[in-house]
Amino acid sequence: MIQTAFNLFLVALLFLPAVALLCRRNHIARALPSLLLLISLLIGTLLAGFSFWRGYRLDVNLSQLTPFSFALAVDRLSAFFLLIICGVGAPVVLFSTSYVRRHYSATKVNWMWALLPLFLLSMVLVVTATTAFAFLLGWELMTLFSAGLVLIDGDSEHRRHNIFIYLMMMHAGAATVIASFFLFLPHATSLDFQSMRAVGAALPSGVRTAIFLLSFVGFGTKAGLIPFHLWLPKAHPIAPSPVSALMSAVMLKTAIYGFVRFTFDFLGGGPAWWGYLVLLAGAATGLLGILYALEENDVKVLLAYSSVENIGIIYLGLGAALVFMANGALAWAALALAAALLHALNHSLFKSILFLGAGAVSDAAHTLDLEQMGGLLNRMQVTGTAVLIACCSIIGLPLFNGFVGEWLMFRSFLAGAELSSISAAVLLPLMAGVLALIGGLSVSCFAKLYGVAFLGRARSQEAGDAREVAMPMQVAMTLLAAACVAIGVLPGFVLRPLTAVTQELLRGPALPETGLSVLRTLPLLAAGVVALLLTAAALRLRSSKRITRTWACGLPELDSRMQYTSTAFSKPLRKVFARVYKPERSVEVVCANPPYFPESITYRSVRTTSFEKSLYRPVVDTVVAMATRLRRLQTGNVQIYLLYIFLALVALLVFMRFA
Amino acid sequence: MKTAIDVIEALLLVAMAPLIRGVIACVKARIQNRRGASVFRPYADLLKLFRKQDLVPDTASWLFRLAPVVLFAVTVAAAALVPVLHPSALLGVSGDFIVLVYLLTVGRFFVMLGAMDGGSSFGGMGASREALVSTLAEAPLLLGLTSVAVLAHSISLSAIVEFSVLRNPFQLSAVHVFAFVALAMVAIAETGRIPVDNPTTHLELTMIHEAMVLEYSGASLALIEWAQAVKLTVIMALLVGVFAPWGMATSASLLGLAVALPAFLIKLVILAIAIAAIESSIAKLRMYLVPDFLGVAAALAILAVVFTALTR
Repeated sequence: MIQTAFNLFLVALLFLPAVALLCRRNHIARALPSLLLLISLLIGTLLAGFSFWRGYRLDVNLSQLTPFSFALAVDRLSAFFLLIICGVGAPVVLFSTSYVRRHYSATKVNWMWALLPLFLLSMVLVVTATTAFAFLLGWELMTLFSAGLVLIDGDSEHRRHNIFIYLMMMHAGAATVIASFFLFLPHATSLDFQSMRAVGAALPSGVRTAIFLLSFVGFGTKAGLIPFHLWLPKAHPIAPSPVSALMSAVMLKTAIYGFVRFTFDFLGGGPAWWGYLVLLAGAATGLLGILYALEENDVKVLLAYSSVENIGIIYLGLGAALVFMANGALAWAALALAAALLHALNHSLFKSILFLGAGAVSDAAHTLDLEQMGGLLNRMQVTGTAVLIACCSIIGLPLFNGFVGEWLMFRSFLAGAELSSISAAVLLPLMAGVLALIGGLSVSCFAKLYGVAFLGRARSQEAGDAREVAMPMQVAMTLLAAACVAIGVLPGFVLRPLTAVTQELLRGPALPETGLSVLRTLPLLAAGVVALLLTAAALRLRSSKRITRTWACGLPELDSRMQYTSTAFSKPLRKVFARVYKPERSVEVVCANPPYFPESITYRSVRTTSFEKSLYRPVVDTVVAMATRLRRLQTGNVQIYLLYIFLALVALLVFMRFA
Repeated sequence: MKTAIDVIEALLLVAMAPLIRGVIACVKARIQNRRGASVFRPYADLLKLFRKQDLVPDTASWLFRLAPVVLFAVTVAAAALVPVLHPSALLGVSGDFIVLVYLLTVGRFFVMLGAMDGGSSFGGMGASREALVSTLAEAPLLLGLTSVAVLAHSISLSAIVEFSVLRNPFQLSAVHVFAFVALAMVAIAETGRIPVDNPTTHLELTMIHEAMVLEYSGASLALIEWAQAVKLTVIMALLVGVFAPWGMATSASLLGLAVALPAFLIKLVILAIAIAAIESSIAKLRMYLVPDFLGVAAALAILAVVFTALTR
């Protein structure tokens, strides 16, 4: 019965585009594809939940029908990621039902409902595949469908350029993933996950290292690890908001899944330096990601960089798990891995709210520029509250879900001090400092985002006239926000099965109970804080409230330009971290009568990421230069081409003679 | 019985917090050769504010009124995590220093938002500066506490305090020295004292915390001021508990507590006098020197953590 439901779920996703195209003419039937997609995602959520909590295994084998072996299975790890895809996908689709109709023409809406199920299906393929062929098929389709969805928002020159970079980097990443699959080949009898797992631990160490490095780079590219993050802040912000939400909240997680599958499941961990490499990458990604986010004024670019940061945090957990495994502390490795996975789930919840919130704001205030917003909470109560909850979650405040993942990570870093290896005992506790710095920066970043966008007075006419968005959008954001609070107060219902999954994966002993003490703290703390909130509110009851004008230093009126801007807010931190930003500033003063009374002053401050300038530019330049040189081979002269063929033939014959 | 004592301890911290402020102000006045107000003056101030009207800017949303309530609630909750008279606390059984640090962050985040809700430059300016200070203070704070937690093999504050209580003062290691200096520096930044911030200033150029709460008045301001005092006391109690807990009762016996209470009060007063002395003798730092100040704290905290591994 459950198996049938799963088959049905896959078939539904596969054939929904056809439904969308068939229903496009009929006014009433037009709502059908979105409704069907919503229902199938809810079924998917139930199935994934059943499989995750009960450990029920689902199998689909289509190898007879396909030229390559093609099989899907849902074990508990896959079920967890399937839960993320469907559980976050459902509210996002609900949001889209009213969002896309308000923003796009009928044709584009059709395209949206045709591509969205396929995009979701490709992600489902990735996390449930048990053969290399199925995995890679899903992996490539995921890139293509998401690129297609990005194009719905428009295809100006700038967008095409960004999508080109996205596709370029994704294919480069996919190439390394494919290579890491093929490295298993001589040793494993076939490229299904079962046999790869069987030989993983027994491979020669050189091959294992190569597989690890290739998959680290390949999945890191998809996840947005610095320095492979270049595409992320380019592609995510230009997509329609629900698609940005899916890309940031869900698609990045498939890369985490892939990395966990390869490194933990197939290879079974490795030497300690793997862990240090992952930790280092995570720390750099987290810090730089949040620093770049901090100085952005475009909401969606800011959120995209913040996704980079959160991926960094997840990799910190993965790195810690690898270090623990290398030191034989499997119980703590399971905890660190659970921390990373829980943070992946949490990030998918709060980041989808934030992207949907950005969509709602652009719907209501027609802008994504922070400097044009302000005072939206008064006009959009539900959206504002949901985004506030998401902000509280993303910066890891207690009683919101982000805290649980970060707490577990702190806990495992501290446990690192008990390891016998000196380098691990020094490095892991220091990572607690890195995580704290990332946390501190994200507090500033999201205080800025929320304070500038939702509080104070409106900075533009549009923001002043903003109205609350349509009901489905509100419901979608509220549902996700409720999930954030639920996990934040009672994390046990996700965390317990999750630790069981990681223990199963690492074949480790049970977790020390002190590793999960937060499970007991949080409900107590929630009760205490609620009681105290009521007490404090009661203390204030006796004083009456009067609405007045903000104090304006004696001036008659304040206007919105006197408010602190987003740029001004992050200035002190930009100054402190000036070395990271390396902005290019130019001031042009046009003077009629120098040096006084300038006619105009123009100030520009541009930051091209130093990676683009110092890492990617030289590579691209070299490739282009080599290509230019190779072009000389192409003379257009048939005789020359015949000569090439002849020379190649001779070379091959010589090679065959002596080989 | 034990729970009752823990509740009383938490209430004690909350109730005596304004007194500590009064003591600091009084000592400062004496150092400046003034008579100064009574040490109970902050209570009178709070009472006065609670009776006054609460003015709310016309641009503000509900968050403006929520922020002081949240700040107060989480700061008091943080007080329930810190062991005072014996190595245990109301939420201390399972609570730990990570929860403590993040609870304080909740309050700060909401005050920053409340400040920006006023819609004037001052609020944003204060929030922006607070963001700078708190961002850079978080890492040394957590690292400093991490180092003592590693020594005590536990992340629970009760266990960390117990670890110190059971040793004599000369057994404390270099880790404690580094961690103490780092945490003391962070404590100054966290509680907004000189040289990082001046709690009595009203100059635009220098305000951090005061700029944030400029729009608040009446009972909301009272909650903020009280919470700020509680935060100062909680951090002082934390420093006392982790680095100089001697005198604390090792178990919850009546005699032990009778000794512990005066010992705790004396230690707090000594710390208060130290703060007053520091505030009277040095000037406030320029804002862009604060990162250097906190950088030194971070370096010391990193050293403390490194030493835990090297000296075991």
